[in-house]
Amino acid sequence: MADALTQLGFASWLSVLIASSIKVTLILVGGSVGMMFLTWYERRSISYMQDRRGPNRVGPQGLLQPISEAIKTMTKEDATPREADKIVHFLAPVVMLGATVLSFAVIPWGRMFPVDLNAAVLFVIATGGLHSIGMMMAGWGSNNKFALLGGMRGVAQLISYEIPQVMAIIPVVLMTGSMSLQKIVEAQNDFGGLGWYVFSPVGLLGFALFFTASLAEGERTPFDIPEADSEIIAGYMTEYSGMKFAVFYLSNYMSNLAVCFITATLYLGGGNGPGVDALGGFAGGLLSLIYFLLKSFALFFVMVLIRATVPRLRVDQLMSFAWKFLLPLVLVNILSASFWVALLRWDQQWPQLTEWFGAPSTADATNWGRLAIAVGLTLLINAGAVALIMRLTNRNVQKHLYTTDEELALGLS
Amino acid sequence: MTLSHLATEDVFVVERNDADFRAGQGMTKGLGIVFRKFRKALFGKPNSDRADTEGQFNVQYPEERLVLPEAYRNMPILLYDDATGHELCTSCFQCERICPPQVIHITQAKDPATGKPVPAAANFVLEYDTCMSCGYCAEVCPFDAIKMDHDFELSTGNHPELDVNYDRLLRPISYYEAIAPTMWSDVKEQAMKKLQNNIKRRPGAIGRDHGQKIKGGAAVAVAATPAAGAAPAAAAKPRGPVAAIGKNMPEEKVAKLISIRAANAAKRGGGDAGAAPVAEAAPIVETVVDTPAAASAAPSGPVAAIGQNMSEDKRAKLEAIRAAKRAQRGE
Ligand code: SF4
Ligand code: SF4
Repeated sequence: MADALTQLGFASWLSVLIASSIKVTLILVGGSVGMMFLTWYERRSISYMQDRRGPNRVGPQGLLQPISEAIKTMTKEDATPREADKIVHFLAPVVMLGATVLSFAVIPWGRMFPVDLNAAVLFVIATGGLHSIGMMMAGWGSNNKFALLGGMRGVAQLISYEIPQVMAIIPVVLMTGSMSLQKIVEAQNDFGGLGWYVFSPVGLLGFALFFTASLAEGERTPFDIPEADSEIIAGYMTEYSGMKFAVFYLSNYMSNLAVCFITATLYLGGGNGPGVDALGGFAGGLLSLIYFLLKSFALFFVMVLIRATVPRLRVDQLMSFAWKFLLPLVLVNILSASFWVALLRWDQQWPQLTEWFGAPSTADATNWGRLAIAVGLTLLINAGAVALIMRLTNRNVQKHLYTTDEELALGLS
Repeated sequence: MTLSHLATEDVFVVERNDADFRAGQGMTKGLGIVFRKFRKALFGKPNSDRADTEGQFNVQYPEERLVLPEAYRNMPILLYDDATGHELCTSCFQCERICPPQVIHITQAKDPATGKPVPAAANFVLEYDTCMSCGYCAEVCPFDAIKMDHDFELSTGNHPELDVNYDRLLRPISYYEAIAPTMWSDVKEQAMKKLQNNIKRRPGAIGRDHGQKIKGGAAVAVAATPAAGAAPAAAAKPRGPVAAIGKNMPEEKVAKLISIRAANAAKRGGGDAGAAPVAEAAPIVETVVDTPAAASAAPSGPVAAIGQNMSEDKRAKLEAIRAAKRAQRGE
């Protein structure tokens, strides 16, 4: 776009500025409209799950409900506590929203608007980490014990779940050999656009782990303890009203949306699907965008389904789930991903190995044979690890929650 | 508690058997149940059978309405006979006495010729805002004059409007018959017999001429469509906070109130505004003068209430007994 503007006679710095502003505005508008749609989508779906009908009065099928709510929040009083740290209190929602919007910069929208950053994965992780700052600012700046408690819990949760989340991406990066989301999507284009990583044992486990950890990152039920309304009122958002509260809400939903986009990109092949390559050009790009959005909204539906089903975790359960369950599985998954890559194409990725050490070239074996071996081996590793960790976790629960009669008799507890 | 009304696949018993391998089967099953609910609610028909546990249960209220059961009760109304226009109420004060929150206020009518109380109510005020819809008044009424209405759309922006006076409480019997046919047919015979007796006992001028209102059309329309539920005479009478406030006060208090209001209005500095409250207040004085207690300047307080229906000599006897008791107690 900047080039076109330069050709029209704008100074080069000016055309870059204009082009960037337009793009940023598009992302912001797209994000907020997406968020508005999501609130409607979530409320409608969850109401059907509860045998209700949900918002259906404002506009056709209630589609204008978010707009009426936006007007409502904008006309609400914007109260700041007298003892609050005014600047920090004001900036917290800004930081939250900023962190969320940043991650939208690298999302590959099917093949329509290719954005290629060769460290996109790293960028996503880094912006995700900014949330905890906003949360802590809100909690601290409100000068309210509930808010501080909520902020603390939130930050503890974000930091804990960031680790399995980030490490769950590593197998994908290993398999692709690149951190660019664009390349990751391209790598999943085998088998007529269906070579999604989720169809491999490594990718399947990675998908489950990443999605679970992302639920916690986006403060979705069952991991919504930072704002646990029944326990700490509204957590770090306690002292926020009107549009500031709405901005928190906006950032929350946008980050959930971003999580769905990124999960779809990393594991579900992004915009890949049957027919995209065949159509090619603009039509193919459009189809890929549709595929991408479909996958993302299907993922969001799963989030809603989980929200309608699973009750909130206790804070200690939350922590032990992250550290004792997700983290070991993620480590095992990295291990099996290494086997996977080594078996499938170690001579492509690391040709030095064959050169320097005379290791046998994988080109000798047939492709399908190697694939079968790789699938079998990684399946074995993953399934074994899952089973083992399940057993260990179960036994822990048993030990700590129940006291047997014998133990009582022996005075052991 | 029995769960037999639920579909069997809905009842998921969590068995804490530690020998079992738990790998999220429970959660998957739960997600499955919720998804099935979603599917049935989205693609199925709206649920019409209340015994069913699935499908949408919503009623889109202003357009769709549930059929109210006959015994549903919201707020009390008073009945009058369609044919003669006579109210059924005899001003027996049973309902006023039983009402737990004491929201019924009755003024008994008097024969203008003799000044004696007659079995009819001059005014009947019910505070809808504090009524708890217990239905005691309807249960206790010996004349089946007060019944429970089905109209629940009573919200108003003007709180004192919920103090409902006689005219707004009255409904023709045909209206009640339409909303509760079997309940009315159970009591119809005795109620009508009592009404005839009652009419005999009061002078011709007492009681309200509702028959004309019926002929006029408005009230009949209400009777024909009970869902409309508007009070037949609502429009006829001025409603207003002032009339409502004054209803139970003794004369001097009302006078005080009026003077305070006049002063307030003067302070607000509106010539017109000053005139209004006094004008509105005027009917109150009338009402108060109407009451037997005020007219006969009888002892105020509980005695007045108890004595309201007694003959003069009975009241004198009661007073004598009370005086004797007071003397005994050494007052
Ligand atoms: S329904 Fe109950 S509360 Fe209401 S007026 Fe009758 S007796 Fe009083
Ligand atoms: S109990 Fe019935 S007849 Fe007696 S005062 Fe009340 S409404 Fe009238």
